[in-house]
Amino acid sequence: MITFIFFYFHFTTMDNLVLDYYTNCAEVCDDKVKKSSITSIKMNTFAWYCTVFIYFFHFYFRIRKICCLESLSKLSILDLHDNQISKIENISHLSELQVLNLSGNRISRVENLQGLNSLTELNLQYNCISAVTELACLPGLQRLFLSCNSILSFDQLACLGESRSLSELTLDGNPVALETWYKQAVLRCVLHLRQLDMKRITDEDRRMAGVLTRKEEEKKRESHKQTIQKCLLLTVQGNNFSAFSTLLFQIGCFHVFLPRLVETGSGSAQSLSLSDSHLAELDGDTLRLFGLGALEALERGWGVQTAGAVTVIAFRFINFDAIVPTLPRIRVKFPNLSHLIFLETNISRLPQLAALAQVRRLDQLTIHPEGNPVVSLALWRSFIIYRLYHFNLQKINGQEVTMNDVIAAERVFGTLGHIAATETPRCRLLLLLEESRKRQLQFLLEGRGRRAGLSPEELRDNGKLLGEGLSRALFNYPSRDCNEATVESSERAAVIEQYLQELVKRASDTNLKGEALHKLWPSMFAEMVKDCVLDMRDRGAFRRDSLAKLTETK
Amino acid sequence: MSRLTSAVPTEQYLADSQVLFYLNDAVTQLLDHKEEYTQFGLVRYFAEYFSSVKNSNHVLFREFSYIRATQHNRASFIRVFWRCFRQIGKSGDLLSVLEYRSLLQLLCPDFPLEVVRSAARIVLMDDATDCLMSFSDFIYAFQLQFYYQEFLDSVQVIYQDLLAGKSPNTVIVPTSSSVEQLMAVAAEENDREEQQQDGVDSSTLAECVDALCDRFKHSYPSRTCTREVLEQIEKVSYYGFLMSLAKHEGINQAIGALPSKEELLIDPEMDQELDKLIGQISVSPGSNSSGSAVGGLKEVQRRASPRRNIHHRRKIEVESDGSTEETDSSEN
Repeated sequence: MITFIFFYFHFTTMDNLVLDYYTNCAEVCDDKVKKSSITSIKMNTFAWYCTVFIYFFHFYFRIRKICCLESLSKLSILDLHDNQISKIENISHLSELQVLNLSGNRISRVENLQGLNSLTELNLQYNCISAVTELACLPGLQRLFLSCNSILSFDQLACLGESRSLSELTLDGNPVALETWYKQAVLRCVLHLRQLDMKRITDEDRRMAGVLTRKEEEKKRESHKQTIQKCLLLTVQGNNFSAFSTLLFQIGCFHVFLPRLVETGSGSAQSLSLSDSHLAELDGDTLRLFGLGALEALERGWGVQTAGAVTVIAFRFINFDAIVPTLPRIRVKFPNLSHLIFLETNISRLPQLAALAQVRRLDQLTIHPEGNPVVSLALWRSFIIYRLYHFNLQKINGQEVTMNDVIAAERVFGTLGHIAATETPRCRLLLLLEESRKRQLQFLLEGRGRRAGLSPEELRDNGKLLGEGLSRALFNYPSRDCNEATVESSERAAVIEQYLQELVKRASDTNLKGEALHKLWPSMFAEMVKDCVLDMRDRGAFRRDSLAKLTETK
Repeated sequence: MSRLTSAVPTEQYLADSQVLFYLNDAVTQLLDHKEEYTQFGLVRYFAEYFSSVKNSNHVLFREFSYIRATQHNRASFIRVFWRCFRQIGKSGDLLSVLEYRSLLQLLCPDFPLEVVRSAARIVLMDDATDCLMSFSDFIYAFQLQFYYQEFLDSVQVIYQDLLAGKSPNTVIVPTSSSVEQLMAVAAEENDREEQQQDGVDSSTLAECVDALCDRFKHSYPSRTCTREVLEQIEKVSYYGFLMSLAKHEGINQAIGALPSKEELLIDPEMDQELDKLIGQISVSPGSNSSGSAVGGLKEVQRRASPRRNIHHRRKIEVESDGSTEETDSSEN
C-alpha cells in the first residue's frame, strides 16, 4: 500500500493554489496566474494529469497522514476531505491558510492548530471528534463546522467560549445537540455566535439563553441551601406564641431556629422562596408558608396551572393580622383552595376568625391549639360555623361539622346576628359593610327612577331585604374604624367644638328671647288691645284715618 | 307655651342630658365619613342618629370610649349584650372571663379585659379568676361594674382605707392614683389576706359610702339600696358587698337595662325570631350561597310570602324540638 504520496508541485512561485481532489481539477485562484493563461493551462493540464493520477490513487488509496506540506507556506486553502486522516498535524507552518477542510476523515481530536493565524474556516464534519481544544489559538476563526461527530457534552466544548471571533458554528449530528436547552447552552458559551447549525440566532434565542442561565444559577443556589437547611434542627418550646418566638421574629434570628418538618423530607417539595427568616414551599397541592416574609411568595407570578393545583395553604409562625390583608389576593389567585391551616399564628379573638370569610371557598379549616389562644375559647367553633355558614364547612380541626353543630351555632349567635342586622342604625351599617353590600344598601336607600328610595323604617321592616347574609357580614375583621392622622382629628375636634358652641349660643339666645317674650306677652297683648280700642273710639275719625293711610300706601 | 319655661338653666340642662356629647359625636362621625353620609343625606343622618340614641341602638359596634362616655350608653350596651346573648344563658353554658370578653368584643371591637375581669372578680369573690361563670351571675355583676365603675373604684379606696385602719373621716380624693397606690402598699403591709376575709364593719362602711355620695360627681346607686345591703350583715368584705349590690333588685330597676332575675331568660319575641332563623337553616342545609347580593335577594323572596312562613313555622317547631335534645348533649 502506498502510504505516502508526494506532491511534486513545485509551485513555489505561485502565490495561491487550491488543491481540490474531489472535482479533479486544480483551480488556480491567483490573478497573476490567471493572467498568464498559457502557463496556467499548461499547469492545468499538467496538474490535471497529476490529479488524475493522484485521483486514481485516491480512489483506491486514501490519505492517511498529512505531511510534506512544508514548502507550501503560502497555501490559503487546504481541502483534504474524505480521506483517512486520523490526526491533524504538520500544518502549523501554514500561516496564510484561510480554509481548512478535513471533513470525512477519522480525526478524533482537534489539536495542533497553532500557527494558523489566518484561518477563518475550519471544516471538521463527519469525523470522530470527541474533544475540542485549543481553539483560542486561532485568532481569526469565524466558521467552525463540527457536524456529525461524537461530541457528548458541553464540557467537551469548553474552549469554544474562548474564541472571540467565532460567528458560525454547526454541531448538529452530535450527541450533545440532542440535549435540552442545547441551543441556549451553546449561546451561553459562545456569545457572539451568529449562526448555529446554519440557522440565524435571533434575539429571542439570546433572551432564552439569559433566562436559562439565571434559572440554572437559582437551582444550584437553592439546592445548596436546601442541603444546608436539612442540617438545621429546631424545637420551639411552649404552646403559645410565646414571647420567645416573638422575640425571634423581632431580631430576625428565625433562620437559626427554622424547624425541619418531617413532611418536607420528600424530594418533591419545591422551595419557592427562602431566606434567613422565612420559607415558602410548594409540595404538590400544599403551599406551606413559614415566617412573615413567606407571604411575599403569594405575590409572585403564579402560572394558572400551578395555582389551580393548590388546594391547601398552611401558615406557620406568621401573625394572623399580617395574613388578613393577603386573603383577598389568595381568593383571586387560588380558585381551588379548600383547606386552610393555621399554626402559631396568634389568633386570639373571635372577630379575627371572621376575616376568613374573605376567601372564595373553604371546605376544611384547621386551627392548631399551639400558638392560637382562640381555640381555648369554648365558643370558637360555633362562631366559625355561624360566621362561615355560607362556606358549608365540612371539617374543623379534623372533626366533622354536623347539622346539629350548625343549628347549635345558630342558636348561640343567631340572635346576635338578627339584632345586629335589624337594629344597627343604617348610617352605622354603611361603615361596617364591605364595598359590595354597601353599594347595595345605598342603592336601596336612594330612589332611582320609578322606584322610590326606602326610608329607614321600611328597610327595618323588610330587615331581610339585604339577604340573610347581612347579619353575618356585619362581623368583619378588621373592623372598619379608620385610623386617621391625629393632627387632622384634633383640628377637627377644635372646629366641631367651636361649631357646637355657636350652636348652643344661638339656641340659648333663642330660648332666652322666647322666655322673655313669654313673660312680656301678656302685658304686650294688653297694650295692643288698649291701643286698638283707643283708636277705634271715635269711629268717624278712625274711618277717615284708615282711608288716608290706604291712599298713602298706594 | 310650657316648654319655654325652663326650670333649669340652659347650661345645666345641656350638661345633664349630655346632648352636647351626642351632638359632638354625630358631627365628628359625619366629618370622618363624609363620602358615605353625604350620599345618605344629612337630615336623614341626624334623624337616624338621634332616634337610635333614643332607642338605645346607638352603641352597636361602636368603640369602647364612646360606650363608656355616658350612663345612657352604658345602660344601652348592657341591654344589647343581654338581648344578643340571652341564648347562652338559656342553654346553661358556663363560660370563663376570656370567653365573655370575646363575646363582648363581637359587639365592641376594643372592649378591654380589665372591666370583664373586675366583673368576674365580683362573681367569684376574688377567687381564681379562671373559673366558669353562669350567664345570669355574670351579667348582673357586669352591669354593676360597668355602670357604676367610678363609684366602685372609690368604694374600693375607702375599703382599703378602713382595712388599713385609717379614720373614716379623712378626706379622700377618689380618683387620685397616687393615693390608691399608697393605699395598696399600706394594705399589703397589713397582712391583706387575713383582713379581707374578715371584712370591715358594715356601719362604718355605710357611713363612708354616704359621705362619698354627698360629694360624688358621677352616678352612684341609690343610698337606700346601699344602706339596705349593709344593714343585713355585720362585717362585710369588699366583694361580698359588691355581690349583694349586684343582686339587689332595686339597683337593677334603677339602672333599667335588665329585667329581674326571674325574667332574665324570657323574651318570647326574640325566641320566635330565632326559631325562624333556625328553621331557615334546617330547610336549606346545603345552600352554598357565598353571601352574594343576588343569592341573598333570591332567598329573601322565598321568605317573603307569608304562607311559606307559616308552613315553615310548623316544620320548625317539630324540628327544633327534636334537635334541642341532641344539641344539648352535643354541646356538653
